[in-house]
Amino acid sequence: MFRSSMMAPQMSAQEEQEKMLDEALGIVKTQAFQMKRSLDGGKLMDGLKNASTMLGELRTSLLSPKSYYELYMAITDELRHLELHLYDEFQKGRKVTDLYELVQYAGNIVPRLYLLITVGLVYIKTNSCLKRDLLRDLVEMCRGVQHPLRGLFLRNYLLQVTRNILPDNPEDNAEESEGTVRDAVDFVLMNFAEMNKLWVRMQHQGHSRDKERREREREELKILVGTNLVRLSQLENVNLELYKKLVLPGILEQVVSCRDAIAQEYLMECIIQVFPDEFHLQTLNAFLESCAQLQPGVNVKNVIISLVDRLATFSQRNESSGGIPNDVKLFDIFSEQVASVIQSRQDMPPEDMVSLEVSLVNLAHKCYADRVDYVDKVLGSTLNIFEKLNVERVSYESAVSRELMRLMKIPLDQYNNILTVLKLQQYAPLLEYFDYRGRKSLAAYVITNILENDTLIPTPEQVDTVLTMVASLIADQPDQPHEEEDPEDFAEEQGLVGRLIHHLKSDVPDQQYLILSAARKHLGAGGNRRIKFTLPPIVFQAYQLAYKYKALKDQDDMWEKKCQKIFKFCHQTITALMKAELAELPLRLFLQGALAVGRIQFEDYETVAYEFISQAFSIYEDEISDSKAQLAAMTLMVGTFEQLACLSEENAEPVRTQCTLAASKLLKKPDQCRGVATCCHLFWSGKTIAGEERHDGKRVLDCLKKGVRIANQCMDSSVQVQLFVELLNHYLYFYEKGNDQVTVQMLNHLISKIHEELPNLETNEETEQISKHFSNTVEHLRNRMESPEADGVSYEGLVL
Amino acid sequence: MQSLFGFGQSADIDVVLDGVESRKSADIKTEEGKKERHLLYYDGETVSGKVNVALKKPGSKLEHQGIKIEFIGQIDLFYDRGNHHEFTSLVKDLARPGELMQNTAYSFEFQNVEKPFESYTGSNVRLRYFLRVTIVRRISDIVKEVDIVVHTLSSYPDANNSIKMEVGIEDCLHIEFEYNKSKYHLKDVIVGKIYFLLVRIKIKHMEIAIIKRETTGSGVSIGPNSYLENETIAKYEIMDGAPVKGESIPIRVFLAGYDLTPTMRDINKKFSVRYYLNLVLMDDEDRRYFKQQEITLWRKGEKARKVGSGMAQSPTMNMPTHLVSGDHSRREVNVESDADVVNAPGVESMRREVDSPTGVNNSEATVDTSPIVQSPLEGNPPLMSD
Repeated sequence: MFRSSMMAPQMSAQEEQEKMLDEALGIVKTQAFQMKRSLDGGKLMDGLKNASTMLGELRTSLLSPKSYYELYMAITDELRHLELHLYDEFQKGRKVTDLYELVQYAGNIVPRLYLLITVGLVYIKTNSCLKRDLLRDLVEMCRGVQHPLRGLFLRNYLLQVTRNILPDNPEDNAEESEGTVRDAVDFVLMNFAEMNKLWVRMQHQGHSRDKERREREREELKILVGTNLVRLSQLENVNLELYKKLVLPGILEQVVSCRDAIAQEYLMECIIQVFPDEFHLQTLNAFLESCAQLQPGVNVKNVIISLVDRLATFSQRNESSGGIPNDVKLFDIFSEQVASVIQSRQDMPPEDMVSLEVSLVNLAHKCYADRVDYVDKVLGSTLNIFEKLNVERVSYESAVSRELMRLMKIPLDQYNNILTVLKLQQYAPLLEYFDYRGRKSLAAYVITNILENDTLIPTPEQVDTVLTMVASLIADQPDQPHEEEDPEDFAEEQGLVGRLIHHLKSDVPDQQYLILSAARKHLGAGGNRRIKFTLPPIVFQAYQLAYKYKALKDQDDMWEKKCQKIFKFCHQTITALMKAELAELPLRLFLQGALAVGRIQFEDYETVAYEFISQAFSIYEDEISDSKAQLAAMTLMVGTFEQLACLSEENAEPVRTQCTLAASKLLKKPDQCRGVATCCHLFWSGKTIAGEERHDGKRVLDCLKKGVRIANQCMDSSVQVQLFVELLNHYLYFYEKGNDQVTVQMLNHLISKIHEELPNLETNEETEQISKHFSNTVEHLRNRMESPEADGVSYEGLVL
Repeated sequence: MQSLFGFGQSADIDVVLDGVESRKSADIKTEEGKKERHLLYYDGETVSGKVNVALKKPGSKLEHQGIKIEFIGQIDLFYDRGNHHEFTSLVKDLARPGELMQNTAYSFEFQNVEKPFESYTGSNVRLRYFLRVTIVRRISDIVKEVDIVVHTLSSYPDANNSIKMEVGIEDCLHIEFEYNKSKYHLKDVIVGKIYFLLVRIKIKHMEIAIIKRETTGSGVSIGPNSYLENETIAKYEIMDGAPVKGESIPIRVFLAGYDLTPTMRDINKKFSVRYYLNLVLMDDEDRRYFKQQEITLWRKGEKARKVGSGMAQSPTMNMPTHLVSGDHSRREVNVESDADVVNAPGVESMRREVDSPTGVNNSEATVDTSPIVQSPLEGNPPLMSD
């Protein structure tokens, strides 16, 4: 090859291959033609000589496996003619004496053996009592070709031509000379062993720099070796007993003893794929024991996983017929053998060990869905692995972490019920091996699972466990990195936790209280950044619980005390938020609490409500400084107080007055105006302790007038007109509600004032909006005047 | 042929051996290498027949000093044309001196003639048997010679041990070979195997050659007047590629197809023909490693095999012979010598051919220089004729 490449340096290796192959194929074509002519002319000897010359092309060492395969295919195709011709002759009774001997005079071994196989086949086909002896002879004689590529193809030819004639009679019932299935097994096993040896040997030939190419070529040839196993699997009379006793041990012995990783991995996979699952089930120990003896380079993990997957699928497919037979302790066997594989392979990367455990968990799930203890056992042995390896933390980026993550997610995904996962004693300890990011990622997964499956966690103990499990999302961790997290991600995670809290739920109220207390304890440790996401849901849950006690008050004498306790709990919780320098949130929660108290009306509720209100007020006064926020808070408070019906006049009056006062003390005039106008509602639709609306028309009017006064003080005429339009609407609202303190004159006055001012405004977008608002209002009034409602107020005298 | 002068009487002699129809014949090469076919005789068989003398000119007489027939076995050395070494010479007178008036036939008989050696034509020597009829005349005798072929038959040898030997080159190659017998008849099959006990060279292939060694001259030992001729009768590839330690390679060589004679040792102190099996391994630099082992060839009395090919054959008649037996299992590699090893146990050294084509012509080494292996199938098939 060296020489020819010097002579034709421009020719690439591939072109050279093609050229050599073409030349060889040319010779094959010529010789095949001659052979057929000789045979047709009755000149057998000449035909054989042509065949021998043609076969001589297979002696080459220059072709790549791919080209050699093409050549082989072309030649064996032509050999079919010879075979058919001889067969016909034999059928006609024209036998050639000692043909089997005759072809053995071929001086070169490769052509000789191809001819011998071809002739042997014809002998067998015409006289099946020669079968056993001839098969044995052929497979033995093939030993003469020790060149890997040539040997592999020669034996492949042997295997191919004999595929339909292998003796397949039951062992005890057959003509001696024809042979039984046992002879077929011996034959194929021997051929297999020899082919495998040749295949393995390819690895050790030539320069080490060609290793990659050699491995690629071996990859291309593996199917030739595997075909032997396919053939064994096709023998109908290979029953379980024979498989157990002869076939599998034969294969495994060769696989183990060849000590070649590529072969071992491929062949183990082959065994799994070609033989039926029923056989695998009964030979697990033998197979798995061999796994433990494979070369260090073999990915045993893949082999075992492949087997597990197959058996698991088998089990599911045959569920109706009972799945895995009872006498096969599938899980126990796998569990033991996997442990011993891990034990015996010290060099196995830890991720592969975990990955094996993953396959075990899969097996347990698929074959023994109800055996939670099996899963727990696997988790336990994973723990053992980490202990033995002295693993302290599994780093998020590592392969081990990836596998461990798979392992931990399986129970979640399979059970889709965190409560079942909680039965796994080893789950939480194993989770602790993850580093911060790993724990956080799994925690998010756990929570998402709970949310998606709408699982409710019904006991304080379980709540405790779950929250411990997801601790990395609940509070700062000792191993947490210092850098700031992405605020959006953080918000999303905390949002998840918040949603989780709504799933901490028991139907039994007392239990629910304990749950909330337990959760509160965990969440309280979350720090200022977290509690604004996590405590509000607790408070709302607590309010819900109070409503529930109220609903069940006939069944529980203690309900009022319990409600008190709940609101105390809420108070504390909200106070915690205040301490976190939050303002609007606790304000809203206090207001919400006050509303809840108002509706539940347990013993001494007024005091509690007042306390909540006063807390809200003090937050408003002390903590909210931004004017916009103040107005918003003010509006909220008014809205709340308007709803509240739980305060006696003694407490209610100061609240209303305080509100109005606070509104008028807002910094900006427009804010004052709007605040005061909003406060009107406190005096009109605000409730008495009896639950009725107040309808204090005079106080309403006072507020409205005060609003007009403040509006008049506005310097910006555009804002002023806007306020007037708004005020007009307020006036109108109360007029329509029947507040007799509001008169048509007042409306007229405002309308004329607006008419007066509006044209003076600059034309711009804002002005347009204002005039639109006004014209809509006027339009509304016009409608009312033209078609008054039956019991509506009169608009007489209104000037538009 | 007419008489030289046209008037002298002459005669044609024709020898007709008895049983010419039923007696087998056999091929033998002439000195020039052409094949001739003659009647076949064995040791101790009577050689008898008729001599017909036909006068060329009917009516005129043939004067002679007597007519005789001789039975002669002789050895001719090609480099010593002057001398014929007769080892057998028998004479029978057929007629006393007188006149022949007409065509005459004479019967003759050499009863139970001893024919101690086998007919043979080699490179330097020929051993032939022939009948010579002489009509003795005053001027020129009329002579007629008729060759016959003699085959020496042996019976099954008493001791026929296998040949088993461990050979090797230190730290390079250790093999153990086994041939099933040390004595083979001419239609026999060599069955054997080769175990590779140690392989540290890259073997390309392995062959078995059958070598015929003909020695001629005084005392057979090689001296000034003696010649040694090696001829490779067959080259037979038995392995392709490089085996590894522990492999066993089967050997099966059918002898019937090759041009072989029985082993001849010190025939009449003139020559010997011996046969050797040469096991040759070639490495990937075309160095050849070999081990020669003498085998004895013998001719078996024919009874068992000759069945007319035209006869109907039962299936078993077409049963291939010498199949590998079932117990041919792989052997553990161990170096302990077995008890039945007759030939020198222990490791013998193999020879490496000195004139290997490595070294100087290294660039040529990539060319496949493996010898063209001639075999009956590629050359002339022997068995298809019948």
